[in-house]
Amino acid sequence: MGPEQRGLASPPRLHSRRLRVRGTSITLLSQVRERAETDLGFSVDYELLDFPTCQRRAAMEPQGYDVYEQCFHNLDIVWFWGALQPIDINRITEWDNISDLAKQGGISKYAWRGHGDAPVRKLYVQPGGFLGPKPARYISMLPTVHNMDSFGYDPRVFGATQGVQPSWSWLLDKRAKGRIALVDEPAIGLFDAALAAEAAGELEFADIGNMTIEEINALMVLLEDLRRQGYFCGAWRDGDQAARLVLDSNVAVQSMWSPVYGKLGPQPGTFVEAAPSEGYRAWHGGASLSRHLGGAELDMAYDYLNWWLSGYAGSVMARQGYYISTPDRSRADMTPQEWAYWYEGAPAAHDLRGPAGEWVVRAGARRAGGSYQERASRIAIWNTVMDEYNYATRAWDRFIRRIQDTRTVETGAA
Amino acid sequence: MIRSANPLAQEPRYELITRVLRSNIQRGTLPEGLVLLEGPIATVMQTSRVPVQAALRHLLGEGLVHRFDGRGYLVGPAGKAIAPLRSDLREFTLDIPGEVDDALQTRGTWRHVYEQVEEQVASCQIFGEFRIVETELSHYLGVSRTVARDVLARLQERGLIRKSATSHWIAGPLTARTVREKFEMRAIMEPAALRMAAPYIRYAEVEQLLEMIESDVALTSKSLSDALVDLCIAQAPNTTLVEMIRSNRLLLSSVSSALTALGLPNDEATNDQYRTIFDLISRHPIDSAVEYLRDHLQIMARRNLARMKIVAVIGETGAFAPYLLPQ
Repeated sequence: MGPEQRGLASPPRLHSRRLRVRGTSITLLSQVRERAETDLGFSVDYELLDFPTCQRRAAMEPQGYDVYEQCFHNLDIVWFWGALQPIDINRITEWDNISDLAKQGGISKYAWRGHGDAPVRKLYVQPGGFLGPKPARYISMLPTVHNMDSFGYDPRVFGATQGVQPSWSWLLDKRAKGRIALVDEPAIGLFDAALAAEAAGELEFADIGNMTIEEINALMVLLEDLRRQGYFCGAWRDGDQAARLVLDSNVAVQSMWSPVYGKLGPQPGTFVEAAPSEGYRAWHGGASLSRHLGGAELDMAYDYLNWWLSGYAGSVMARQGYYISTPDRSRADMTPQEWAYWYEGAPAAHDLRGPAGEWVVRAGARRAGGSYQERASRIAIWNTVMDEYNYATRAWDRFIRRIQDTRTVETGAA
Repeated sequence: MIRSANPLAQEPRYELITRVLRSNIQRGTLPEGLVLLEGPIATVMQTSRVPVQAALRHLLGEGLVHRFDGRGYLVGPAGKAIAPLRSDLREFTLDIPGEVDDALQTRGTWRHVYEQVEEQVASCQIFGEFRIVETELSHYLGVSRTVARDVLARLQERGLIRKSATSHWIAGPLTARTVREKFEMRAIMEPAALRMAAPYIRYAEVEQLLEMIESDVALTSKSLSDALVDLCIAQAPNTTLVEMIRSNRLLLSSVSSALTALGLPNDEATNDQYRTIFDLISRHPIDSAVEYLRDHLQIMARRNLARMKIVAVIGETGAFAPYLLPQ
């Protein structure tokens, strides 16, 4: 039997090549996965988890995934658990085009770096297996999607008309008592609360990006005191929960992620994004390689990583309000109106669609905070895993549990 | 500590005593009407009175003994108006199975139970602050309060627990700051001691160790770390300094093994670093070894702080030992 006949006799082996991606709702969008499969010619499986679960399982079960899509700050957990392998930048085709925000720590030499861990401080693999900012051939995570987060608020509650600049202090403001929610992720929500406490003049941190035990205690005492007074009505872990809190629980101010605004449906400006006077809490996402990868699987993973920076994925991210580390490559995959709204801060020329085709921006609207340059120049702090992360996490979890218990009791009573 | 292979060794003491008394009553060795008193039983069993009390209460529940109008218990069921028989327990040759006797014998000292308690106390601290209840501890271990106190004294010496203002034993919370401060102390003391120790280092043994490192892959980094202290640093003539160095390291080593027991990955093998230190010590001026030790401690500090972060993903699964009360 000749080789051609053998080929005909065996069934085609469809989808035998398969890449398993573990990540969060930030990047695991079906639009991205479907296009990647078409462009790359292999299957991509997504495992979508909330932040804390994703982080824990990525650290403890590296056999369960090939590529890990998460944020730089949690490399402090997953990298040091030994779950990942270094990425060789010589195999990253777009490496030279990746923005300075990721590679240098700021969009310009003079831009303020922000407190906490800028992604560059976790980027390069240093001698001894540590991570640091000194350029090297190997990196821990390929920088992809990122954003500068703030909070959303009801302008009617804060009397916010033109000329009133939102402050993080609104997140603990008496005017919103009983209608405040926080994001339940200790490397994120805790900093929202800390920024609020400092902006309100309640507390002062020597280094808000690396708090001492006493500072963490003081923050938790303040939050607990407010909780007892009934300030908080909930906490959320993903965008759907966040949207429900706004729509069903009448939240007046809460931590927000950009895509959630698109989930609120047509609403007449009663819940809007803040551009806080103190600056943003920023984060940077990326993709890492599982420790076990080798051979052909590793090649597939590199193909997928390179694909991520090649344009299309960045355009999907833009439509949910996130930036990509290679924006010039994604510009071609966006309409000029989309680019002008999301990246340049210009008024929307017409209604704009989100990743799934739903309408998310009305004609004439402008992105809060302005252009990418303006927003990226005003980073107050990065999501950070502090030295006392374990202590802070346990305290935070107890606090969140008490918020949720109170809520359950109240709902039950009603 | 050497853990006994005897399965009964882990059983609470009162259960062992209950077992012995029950079988001796059932087979008639202890006759109906015999007055059972805590003191003599405790003497025969070589134990404190607390587990004996518990054992007698159990037998009362089983109907094998009953209370009467005097001190102690009478063998036999209640309601039969049995006359009390007051005899010295030692007159009845109690049948104590070898296994049970062995299990009772090995319980006398704190050493038998210490390792288990140290691991529980060290690992609970990553979850927060706990109070240790002394009576619960002795009950849990089936040891006398004296033994429980010995265990607690040892934990205090290691820096794992402390007394609160209200005289309660408190453990934790374990923080990154504690670990960082311990390493700062190491960086101050250990290079200084190594320099002072230079003329007294046991060089022949260091040479032997170097040969072992070359040939024997089974050497753990912990054993090399201990050897560095024993053969080199602790040879410094200042005994006060050496004592401080040793006690400063105790907490770190307890924490390290507790974290490993919780499922954290082991420290990266640093055998290469120890080989370099021993090589510098035995073949070069002491200054170079001192400098290298300083760098080595800095790296170890960073590694340990990194470990203190990753422990955050360990969830509170299951209950803590009953003597540990979350605060």
